[in-house]
Amino acid sequence: AFGFFRNIVGGKTLTKADLEKAMTAMQEHLSKKNVAREAAVQVTESVEKSLIGQKTGSFQSIEATVKAAVEASLRKILTPTNSLDLLREIQTKRSGSSKRPYVISIVGVNGVGKSTNLSKICFFLLQNKFKVLIAACDTFRSGAVEQLRVHARNLKELSEREGGVVELYEKGYGKDAANIAKDAVAFGEAEGFDVVLIDTAGRRHNDQRLMSSLEKFAKFAEPDKILMVGEALVGTDSVQQARNFNAAFGNARTLDGFIISKCDTVGDMIGTLISMVFATGIPVVFLGTGQNYQDLRTLNIAWAVKLLMS
Amino acid sequence: MVLADLGKRITSAVSELAHSNVVDEKVFDGMLKEICSALIEADVNVKLVSGLRKSIKHAVNFKELPPAANKKRLIQKAVFDELVKLVDPHNEPFKPKKGRSNVIMFVGLQGSGKTTTCTKLARHYQARGFKACLVCADTFRAGAFDQLKQNATKAKIPYFGSYTETDPVKVAREGVDKFKKEKFDIIIVDTSGRHQQEKELFAEMVQIQQAVKPDQTIMVLDASIGQAAEAQSKAFKESADFGAIIITKTDGHAAGGGAISAVAATRTPIVFIGTGEHMLDLERFAPQPFVSKLLGMGDMQGLVEH
Ligand SMILES: Nc1nc2c(ncn2[C@@H]2O[C@H](COP(=O)(O)OP(=O)(O)OP(=O)(O)O)[C@@H](O)[C@H]2O)c(=O)[nH]1
Ligand SMILES: Nc1nc2c(ncn2[C@@H]2O[C@H](COP(=O)(O)OP(=O)(O)OP(=O)(O)O)[C@@H](O)[C@H]2O)c(=O)[nH]1
Ligand SMILES: [Mg+2]
Ligand SMILES: [Mg+2]
Repeated sequence: AFGFFRNIVGGKTLTKADLEKAMTAMQEHLSKKNVAREAAVQVTESVEKSLIGQKTGSFQSIEATVKAAVEASLRKILTPTNSLDLLREIQTKRSGSSKRPYVISIVGVNGVGKSTNLSKICFFLLQNKFKVLIAACDTFRSGAVEQLRVHARNLKELSEREGGVVELYEKGYGKDAANIAKDAVAFGEAEGFDVVLIDTAGRRHNDQRLMSSLEKFAKFAEPDKILMVGEALVGTDSVQQARNFNAAFGNARTLDGFIISKCDTVGDMIGTLISMVFATGIPVVFLGTGQNYQDLRTLNIAWAVKLLMS
Repeated sequence: MVLADLGKRITSAVSELAHSNVVDEKVFDGMLKEICSALIEADVNVKLVSGLRKSIKHAVNFKELPPAANKKRLIQKAVFDELVKLVDPHNEPFKPKKGRSNVIMFVGLQGSGKTTTCTKLARHYQARGFKACLVCADTFRAGAFDQLKQNATKAKIPYFGSYTETDPVKVAREGVDKFKKEKFDIIIVDTSGRHQQEKELFAEMVQIQQAVKPDQTIMVLDASIGQAAEAQSKAFKESADFGAIIITKTDGHAAGGGAISAVAATRTPIVFIGTGEHMLDLERFAPQPFVSKLLGMGDMQGLVEH
């Protein structure tokens, strides 16, 4: 994939002109991996900057240098400044004085996999013996409540023997999501639940009305974590999706992490990972890798970078 | 689909060339580069963009142009033609007829908007005097039948499905047979989301297709899909040989280039676009006006006839 290095000769100081072809090719390579162009341009520009003025050694070492620089740049984007250990955080919160459950809400555009990945997180928590309340706060989309009811029922069956407890909190359709979320958290607190997982309706990030209701939602539900689901299939729009959701919760609140879903549907074109983190600096917490409850992974940065460079 | 941005950039690239005093190869290449960047940014497949660049170069053939040729006009026409070619597969979609049963099967990736769109389409035909109904052959996704049922009930469209049967082939066959007997004109079959990496899911799609023998299979694509669009749509084409595409969520912010790439890769026409979450948010699609809109048009319209 990297045939463009042939133009670089050994033993000279690299100039912008020397690197132009290689950088264009590298941009194209990243675009093919579904990295949004904006992110691809920024990555290659930073690499170019780091290489101009460097003296070339043998042909091989140049190729290695350029690749290493791009790899380092991708790795840097994906590496979070502080990593999130969900289980530890929940435990810490539960052993504190407050009775309030640990609240996680899931947001994102339509059809990306919010409800499904919420159920996967629930499965993960149940395996760790937590008592989980699922709050059905998508009161708009047909079948959204029944979808969660089925998941809650399945998960109950799967975890009963191991001692996990899961319940569904629902108030049907048409009602205000923020109010239901608030009530669900209060109910969870009264009933001694460890975690409340709040599902929300899908919304376009360019829909002012629906996006602005998120601020009220966050105020009412006071989530410990707001996770956004972005799907690996999405192209350039991922950048704007991430930015708009990150900005939707008012001045004092941002997203806490991404779940990148449908990673199993894109082969090595996992550029959405880069695009969304690049756009916001918000880390990836989970990857969705299938339609079953166990198809949830944490991000292995080395794996991701290797796929992107292949 | 916010095509406006892409359109604006292409139009300004072309008109910049139109306004420059000297149209030499350098100016021409600059324009091509700008157009290609805009297309990639709009999620058009990278290989497709390289192909488009070559085709325009070939069509214009700059080196051989006689000095008297109207270069600007030639270039504008080449750009327009190639863009139309991208979205216009020159294939006529199936047109349902009243008084017989027309079976339409929906296929597509997970969450692309199949279930929502199949009710929209049933309602569209119902409003035009067809007797339309829905069959839920998604026995996999949690709540899939309830979703279809609630939508169908809202739109007053008869539906068929099962809470207990787990074999989608069986449900599909039963539903279609039942509605055929009842002399419905339009029988729309909704199926689960799937992707090419899971061979079993594709095999299941083929089995449903063999069971219901659709007159038309429609692939539903999310307007925001990126570079994976080409490979996925090609794989669906090979297995299900769909004859039409519906692009959903065009009310979003995505430029829709991935979906356009699917059209180009499969030579299959877009027949409708989804423009929102509500029942009536469905519009017919035609490629030429689409490109006109894409280019902010008006001034280029005249070129089509030449
Ligand atoms: N292949 C694959 N499919 C997934 C993954 N996550 C979710 N899905 C599928 O994507 C589809 C949509 O999932 P949902 O969880 O309903 O999506 P949502 O974001 O809640 O949708 P809305 O509530 O309608 O906005 C379903 O068919 C899921 O099975 C994943 O990681 N891989
Ligand atoms: N904004 C917008 N949302 C849409 C449109 N079409 C569908 N949706 C939304 O997209 C989400 C997924 O739609 P579904 O119809 O459930 O998708 P699906 O392809 O049936 O999903 P699976 O059966 O899980 O594969 C829902 O939240 C829909 O409301 C559209 O044109 N615009
Ligand atoms: Mg949902
Ligand atoms: Mg569906």
